[in-house]
Amino acid sequence: MTLCTKINRALLLIAVSVLWLCPPGWAETRQPLRIGLGEEPRTLNIWMASDANSNNILSQIYQPLYRHAPGETEMVPWLAAGPPEMAADGVTYQVRLRPARWSDGSAFTAADVAFTCRLIKEFKIPRHYSRWKFVDQIEAVDDRTVRFILKEPMAIFLTRSLTIPIVSEKEWREVAASARKQKKPLASLFNHTVKRPLGTGPFVLEKWHKGAYLHMKKNDLFFGQGLRIGGRLLGPFVEEILFKIYGTSDVAMLALKKGAIDMYWQGIQPGYIENLEQHPEIRIFSSERSALYYLGFNLRKPPFDDPALRRAAAMLVDKSFIIKRVLQGYGSRMDSIIPSGNEFWYNPNLTEYGEDLNREQRIRAAYRILKQAGYRWTQPPVDDSGKVQPAEGLRLPGGSLMESVTILTPPADYDPHRAISGLLIQQWLRQAGIPASSRPMAFGALLQQVKARHDFDAFILGYGRLSLDPDYLRIFFHSEFDRERGWNMSGYHNPEFDRIAEASEKTMDLEARRLRIYKMQEIIARDVPYLPIYLPREIEAVRTDRFTGWVQMLEGIGNIWSFCQLSPVN
Amino acid sequence: MKTGNEQRDAFAAPAGRREWLAGGWALFWENPIGKIGLILMACFALMAAASFVPPLLDPMYHPMHGVDPEISHATGPSAAHWLGTDFIGRDIFSQLLAGARIAFMVGLSAAFMSIFFGTLIGMISGYAGRFADTVLMRLADMVMVMPTLLVVLILSSLFGQLRIWTIVLLIALFRWPGVSRIIRSQTLTLKHRPFIEAARVAGASHLRIIFRHILPNVLPLAMLYMTFRVTSAIIIEAALAFLGFGDPGTVSWGMMLQWVWKTGHMFQAPYWLLPPGICISLLTLSFYMLGRAMEEVLDPRLRKEGESD
Amino acid sequence: MTMEIRRYILGRLFQITLIFFVILTVLFLLFRLAPGDPVSRMVDPNMTPEDAQRLIEQLGLDLPMWQQYLIYLENFLKGRFGISFHYGQPVSEIILNRLPNTILLFTSSILLAAFVGVFLGKIVSWKKGERIDTWVTIGALVCHTLFLPWLALIIIWVFAYWIGWFPLTGMISAEIWTDPSAGLLRKGLDIAHHMALPLITLFLIHFGSYLLVMRSSMLDTLREDYILTARAKGLDEATIRNRHAAPNAALPVITSVGLSLAFSINGGALTETVFTWPGLGRELVFAVSNNDYPLAQASFLLIAAVVLTANLVVDLLYAYLDPRIRY
Repeated sequence: MTLCTKINRALLLIAVSVLWLCPPGWAETRQPLRIGLGEEPRTLNIWMASDANSNNILSQIYQPLYRHAPGETEMVPWLAAGPPEMAADGVTYQVRLRPARWSDGSAFTAADVAFTCRLIKEFKIPRHYSRWKFVDQIEAVDDRTVRFILKEPMAIFLTRSLTIPIVSEKEWREVAASARKQKKPLASLFNHTVKRPLGTGPFVLEKWHKGAYLHMKKNDLFFGQGLRIGGRLLGPFVEEILFKIYGTSDVAMLALKKGAIDMYWQGIQPGYIENLEQHPEIRIFSSERSALYYLGFNLRKPPFDDPALRRAAAMLVDKSFIIKRVLQGYGSRMDSIIPSGNEFWYNPNLTEYGEDLNREQRIRAAYRILKQAGYRWTQPPVDDSGKVQPAEGLRLPGGSLMESVTILTPPADYDPHRAISGLLIQQWLRQAGIPASSRPMAFGALLQQVKARHDFDAFILGYGRLSLDPDYLRIFFHSEFDRERGWNMSGYHNPEFDRIAEASEKTMDLEARRLRIYKMQEIIARDVPYLPIYLPREIEAVRTDRFTGWVQMLEGIGNIWSFCQLSPVN
Repeated sequence: MKTGNEQRDAFAAPAGRREWLAGGWALFWENPIGKIGLILMACFALMAAASFVPPLLDPMYHPMHGVDPEISHATGPSAAHWLGTDFIGRDIFSQLLAGARIAFMVGLSAAFMSIFFGTLIGMISGYAGRFADTVLMRLADMVMVMPTLLVVLILSSLFGQLRIWTIVLLIALFRWPGVSRIIRSQTLTLKHRPFIEAARVAGASHLRIIFRHILPNVLPLAMLYMTFRVTSAIIIEAALAFLGFGDPGTVSWGMMLQWVWKTGHMFQAPYWLLPPGICISLLTLSFYMLGRAMEEVLDPRLRKEGESD
Repeated sequence: MTMEIRRYILGRLFQITLIFFVILTVLFLLFRLAPGDPVSRMVDPNMTPEDAQRLIEQLGLDLPMWQQYLIYLENFLKGRFGISFHYGQPVSEIILNRLPNTILLFTSSILLAAFVGVFLGKIVSWKKGERIDTWVTIGALVCHTLFLPWLALIIIWVFAYWIGWFPLTGMISAEIWTDPSAGLLRKGLDIAHHMALPLITLFLIHFGSYLLVMRSSMLDTLREDYILTARAKGLDEATIRNRHAAPNAALPVITSVGLSLAFSINGGALTETVFTWPGLGRELVFAVSNNDYPLAQASFLLIAAVVLTANLVVDLLYAYLDPRIRY
């Protein structure tokens, strides 16, 4: 190598290093809001988007007629101008719309609403169809009024049907037309690639660089700009948003600490809190969630077909211990399928199994229940003098030895809370002689086993997002949903429950419906097909040095109100 | 590792087997690489054996189920927990020991099975010749080029979830081609040896010839390759577990690394991040060194024997 | 090209096609028999069993097996690799998007490892027996046996976290790429900046074997006759080693690259996953865990095709470069 080449190479190396080490220079005016996402969004096609991250992006774009607002019990009219007017017949509703524009400038009209609803009905779009199939007719009365006629009165129409995202007829008309002609119209609809979604929301998509980031810019045509809705003055006051994709949460946390992102849009483990709290610019939000994490039993076969055994198990599970140790205090116990935060629907007068009892008292209580139901041991958990001892050889009332039961849980890296709860519950059940063992299983396979094949004894699963409307109680426990892929995974059949559930679906009077929902919760708490265990809090972290105005709500701070109110500090 | 298909000249049926072994051992021990390899391996074997001890001392030391009653998050080394605890309060040191046990189990079983398949196929291919030979060797080519990790990954979807023995079997099914080629060429040269001819003339059946006469002579070669197979088996299992496709019910070193990574303790818990990786590397290294030392022992002896023939 | 070589190439091409076809069929069976389906992972209480069933029908997972197989073959031959279940986009689009990233990282790392391995192997071989030889050889050996994901994690920890010179993840910085004033050079440097750590990781794992191969190959070559001739001619040692021995000794390294391709690909997939490098290997891992059959299938097929072709190329190259070998 000649001297000349050597010098050249050295200079190149120096130049490269200098450029590497220089941080990117910012033009003074650019200050995008940077948000970290846990995983790449799947798609921009609203109908296909079933994952959280796609919906995070699309919720900035497509807007519904009504929404929940923090601090408000009633639904707030969003794209609608006011509450829906119900006619005396109880099945006709009329909704007036706000003046609004799509992001390409065209007018938002009732035709778009009618188109969206009809699309859902015609194509039977999976996540929305169940809330629209009872709607008979949808008419655009004029440019700003829509009329809906239901087949029968349905309580969920207000809270579940009118919260779907509205899409532009212009954007989807052609797509729907060509999808109709295909052999598989729904698949065709799903597979339509949306490059620039047309929306009425506060932001529009500028670019999606696959694998790296999504770039959104403020939508100057946002209908809510400058309006006061839900008691809040809306912006947005942020010019651009950069959604950056991170593979793992510790890298994202590091990015947050270093200031590479302003917020991480995914719940974080309690283990990070201590470390993050030491940073003066970082603030932790701990929000309520509408979620349910529970132990499910298989009622279709022994031994959990016996309610006495299930009640004994309920007695042995120390929920407070799990909250304190596993969730490190960031959660609350659940006694009903409906979270206690859902104040209107939650029944506070339910049987609480073993609250405030210590380990020994729990074992005694479980022993009593089982003994009364006819269970016998070669060595019972409580001996004749009343002392607690290791139990052995549990026999079912029929006389046969109880075979070991498996509690299936998701793997520890998928959800450490569920995995360790499984381990703890295994140990607790063993203390009463129930031969339980907790087995982690890959999530997809677990769902397959439990939901499709119904081949299990018990499992620990959860629903991360339960709607505020308690209709899911019916979906989880009505006997008609006990089939392959149905949500009645435990196989619970109770005609009394079925009757009340069916009635509650149609009860329009809130108080009357509430009484029914209360009764349903009572029955479930008594029979324990699912043992609700805990409700974790949503823990999120943000930086406070560049943006302010995060709005805390059920499910956290990643909501439309935050995005409409956030503004740069100064 | 030596590349190319160096024809190994077969050596005659060892008359004085015991002397041969003793001589081989002496050569082996002289070699510093072999010594280090053996010592390292012995350490790990000790670890694997010791893995049964902690759960007996206290149920909280069980690598999978044992949670410390006081601790439920990752903590550093302490008197009670020599390497600290993982994110749900399990003892890392017991996990490390259990991982050694799993590594040996997976490594040795997968290696043994793949050598078994490979030797069998190699012998049959070399002995039978022609059609069987072509088919088997084409099969070997096909399997050999495939990136094993990705293949096992794809296969894992068939099972929904892999249990540890399934993983072992799958690894074995895709790692036999290498040894089968060598065994095949060895068999080819042996086939024409006088003592084989003699056996055939004497009326011995093909099977008897293969198992009674050829097998003992190819065995040392097979054993040699087994050590290399162990390393790849351990690494593949660790990589599978790391990516999340392992058996969630077993605690292997790869699984430990997956937990550190996925639960976000990569930057905060060096006491958890470093040990499993160091162990995988050292165990792999030790088997590799053993293999090299054995190779150097066998090779000169092969050459020596060959010349004298 | 002689008749023999032509015949050899044809033979190998036929073999490759056969293998490919077998892999195709096996993949088909595999995914159809697999227990999980992409629909079962959708955990949304609003989706009724009817909805799920409808979705399954739409995805075509309900037809009889042989019908699906024929459709599958037909599509494949027409170059239609289907629509990804997870992304809802055509698989070919996704692959085309990810492939360049993988090629960039992969080829750079192999080239770097090969060059450095050859260079060091050459140096070390002529200092055989000395301290430097032992240490470098041991170093190469140790690097070769390091567990790749662990090495990757350590490198991220040290260089991206502690020292902080390199980015933690990904291939590009969003700030630079959304800055309208950033030019091509800036963007290119950004990619290079992000590529540094994965490159170093792959390099460390692979250079060892190339070094060892080169070393033993050099030692063998130095015993050859033509080296003796060169010495007799009076040429100095450096010229002999660099001009006569090294080029020939480098040949086995080429085959080594080919033989270890499978190993390198495994490593590539692991590296991409840990560094969140948006490449094909990482996509394959995701696709398998999401039961995204079309994408997993196509990615694997592509990788298999690359491996098979590369092997053929390597064999031919070796034959071409080494006049002593003729098929």
